[in-house]
Amino acid sequence: MDTFLQQLINGLTVGSLYALVALGYTMVYGVMKLINFAHGDLVAFSAYVGLTIFTQFYGSSALSLVNIVIVFSLTAIVVAFVGVLLERLAYRPLRTAPRLSAVVSALGASLVIQNGIMLIWGPNMEIFPADVFPSTSWNFGGVIISFTQLVILALSAVLMVSLYIFINKTKMGTAIRATAIDQDAAKLMGINVNRIIMIIFIVGSMLGAIGGLFIGMYYRGLTFDMGWLYGLNAFIAAIIGGIGSIPGAMLGGLLLGLFNAMISGYISTEWAETFTFILLIVILIVKPTGLLGEKTAEKV
Amino acid sequence: MNFKKLTGALALSAVVASSLVAADTVKIGVQAPITGKYANEGQSIENFVKLIVDEKNAAGGLLGKQIEVVTCDDEAKAQKAAVCAKKLVNEGVFAVIGSYTSGATEAAQTTYYRNKVLQTSDGTSDSLISKKYWTFFRNSFPNSSQSDFTADYFVNVKKYQRIVVLSDYSSYSAGLGDSTEASTKALGGNVIFRGKVKSGTQNFTAVLTKIKAMKPDVIYYSGYYTDGGLIRAQQEQLEIDADFVGGDSNDNPDFVKLAGKSAEGTVLINFPTPEILPYPEAKKYLAAYKARFKMDPPSIWPVTNADGLRAVIEGVEKTNSFDTKKISDYIRSTMKDFPGITGPFNIREDGERVGAKFVVYNMKNDGTKEVVK
Repeated sequence: MDTFLQQLINGLTVGSLYALVALGYTMVYGVMKLINFAHGDLVAFSAYVGLTIFTQFYGSSALSLVNIVIVFSLTAIVVAFVGVLLERLAYRPLRTAPRLSAVVSALGASLVIQNGIMLIWGPNMEIFPADVFPSTSWNFGGVIISFTQLVILALSAVLMVSLYIFINKTKMGTAIRATAIDQDAAKLMGINVNRIIMIIFIVGSMLGAIGGLFIGMYYRGLTFDMGWLYGLNAFIAAIIGGIGSIPGAMLGGLLLGLFNAMISGYISTEWAETFTFILLIVILIVKPTGLLGEKTAEKV
Repeated sequence: MNFKKLTGALALSAVVASSLVAADTVKIGVQAPITGKYANEGQSIENFVKLIVDEKNAAGGLLGKQIEVVTCDDEAKAQKAAVCAKKLVNEGVFAVIGSYTSGATEAAQTTYYRNKVLQTSDGTSDSLISKKYWTFFRNSFPNSSQSDFTADYFVNVKKYQRIVVLSDYSSYSAGLGDSTEASTKALGGNVIFRGKVKSGTQNFTAVLTKIKAMKPDVIYYSGYYTDGGLIRAQQEQLEIDADFVGGDSNDNPDFVKLAGKSAEGTVLINFPTPEILPYPEAKKYLAAYKARFKMDPPSIWPVTNADGLRAVIEGVEKTNSFDTKKISDYIRSTMKDFPGITGPFNIREDGERVGAKFVVYNMKNDGTKEVVK
């Protein structure tokens, strides 16, 4: 039983990271019908930016709460800026072009960011300082949860709930949903579509940035091509949940993390990925729109 | 054109003349990567050979003949190695030291064999002796010796009862993992789990949680430090009460950075680095090397190659001939515990060096190592 609960916590932790990243994919897709392949690399970029700010400003000693908040905010702002820049340079000029052109542009942007990281920080592994958060952990009858895991789980949950409220209960959220349904009609209603898209990129990049920082703090080893790994998994999570649906991305991320952990734990570590992709195919055959893709019908 | 022919003829006559004049010299070849990615290793092999040859020449040479060193740069590439082999054979060497990589060594082996030229290399690939050429012997230890050593450490030294072997999917790591599992079982060790992880995945908690339920004494990881450090850190985080032992590719400063506090107490198994070799020959030759070249050898490999050369010299002197077959037979059959710089030097009938020496390090948090065995 404790092994099962431990796998549950392992899976939920990874799953929340996937979910945070998946939100960026799904929001952009919801509004622009574009798979932003550069999003995963933006996540890797955030981990590097966060590391640089940590080491530059505070040394590698344990940080106070205020400092951590500052680092998170600064990283989120920098990455949001890059996200907006990405939209301006790589996607906006192609908004009326065929869909395929934008996808190729996204792949190109992904390579640009990945190689940019390599040129700035070098091809060798960079390592996050240990104990950004206290190394405390709790043992509940054999089930261990660390402080970092708790922060990841709690903060991810708070962020996802806030995003849900933002999209569904605020005026801006209504405008975003309207743009997602029909850009031209939204324009006629006096909605500034360019501004909405910018906001989508800011929010998506900020969530990705926080995901990237968590990845850096939890796993500590950063490589310039790590964005591919997390981007791919998050993209799968977004598809499982139903791409374009925000609760779908959250559900998809958590499910993917849990599924991976349970397969590794109970069936075979070697086959975990194979089974995960079989799951993806089965879900898409049974429900081509993904788990929450159609029912909620709220494409954002 | 005429001018070229003329210089060619002149050069040829010069070669003939010099070989006539130098009738009482004997040639030894060095085939090593003097340029390219492994240049520091290749240059160090050449330096070490020169150091030993000069010492021999100063003491009157080999059977009264002065030794001349002929170097060919193979850039650690197979094609260049094949060319080097032809070139060195044409130069008339009776023995070749090198090359550094297993690939470049293997590409040259057949040429030396056909021309009855002795060859000795530090390449660790098990395949180097599979051709059974009498001309070739290895001066380092094969990969499989590491698994034998590790298995002995597990079963006979630490007496672990429940052993977990993890590797990644690369041929090096999976091969080392498989052979460690096999060697451990051969010694009667109990391998309770043999798993593979995907390098670069970062999250190993799922497989580690599975392992935790099996209550292992030790987790052995045969992959690279980039994953090994994380596995160790996550093992501690999951409070798995087992030792962690890493194969040679975990021996990197970044392992300690990745593992953080958990690095303390980690055990790594690797070839000894030159500065900790305990033998009197090691002290003497490494000091001479440093005095002449103003640096230490970059790794153990140039040092094992130097031992290969010393074994050849020993063979010539003991058989009192330059007949390569006789020298080879002497090195393989008669020579026992020749005092090498890297420890007692013994060559098996198939050209394999036996009696591998490995070192067990205890890692400290600050990245320093403590030799325990």
